Amino acid sequence: MFHMTAAFLLVAGSVAAGVFNTLAIRAERPSDIAYLLRLVRVTLPFIFVGVAGTLIFGLWLWHEQDLAFGELWIWLSLVLWVITNALGGMGGKHQERAREVAERLAASGDASNDELRAILRDPKGNAMSWLAGAATIGILVLMIWKPG
Amino acid sequence: MLAAGRPFFPLFLHVFGAMVLTGAVLAALIVSAAAWRRNDVVLLRRAGFWALGVVGVPAYVAMRVGAQWIYSQEGFSGDADPTWLGIGFAAADIGLLVLLITIGVAYWWRRSGKPLAGHIVAGLSTVYLLMLAVAWLAMSGKWG
Repeated sequence: MFHMTAAFLLVAGSVAAGVFNTLAIRAERPSDIAYLLRLVRVTLPFIFVGVAGTLIFGLWLWHEQDLAFGELWIWLSLVLWVITNALGGMGGKHQERAREVAERLAASGDASNDELRAILRDPKGNAMSWLAGAATIGILVLMIWKPG
Repeated sequence: MLAAGRPFFPLFLHVFGAMVLTGAVLAALIVSAAAWRRNDVVLLRRAGFWALGVVGVPAYVAMRVGAQWIYSQEGFSGDADPTWLGIGFAAADIGLLVLLITIGVAYWWRRSGKPLAGHIVAGLSTVYLLMLAVAWLAMSGKWG
């Protein structure tokens, strides 16, 4: 139950952050973009509690349910958990950079420029967040499927 | 970890849909709460409606279809079903009504910009999030 709650917080927080990020990419005015990217910060406590909770309660369940040490699906989930965090962190840094540029432009006339557009549409930066989401879905698949 | 030996795809659809739905409602709650202080920001009204309509509705459909699919595959009949199942169905079916009303009010908020509409979206989103939380706790903890 606690493990599931943590998973709900992680995915729900990530979805909410994804909604704000997607809308920021589509927004025109830097002040709107900065505002939406600031809202992403509100979702971070949900994501952080979810990240910590899934690991702590997951390891607890591993011990509690007497699952073998060599369970492949658990090890794969742990690898994906690390990948999710690494990619999510990189995606977050990319969003922070976009927010800083958007705030600077908002304070000086609120007109977008090529720099902001390039950061917002940078495929590599956005791919980090999307791949983090995909890795999270991968963990969910493993948790339900339990292959091996 | 979820229950072993259950059909994979329907359960995945159900759980993933419920998680994404929770995220969509959380996003609507965050923007409507933010608008409490800044109701002049038009994009907050657009974001609330967008989160519920574009993300929340498909997620609800996935969650509900997955639920019915597992229900029929696992041979439940409606007689002496466990309590957690009843709580889940109640949250899903009453929740649909709450979701549709919230989307309707979010649309009104988006069009009119009235602060009251934003406050109602915030209130309904909070109620719906609590219902979803009770449902996931009951279903994952197998209450009753």
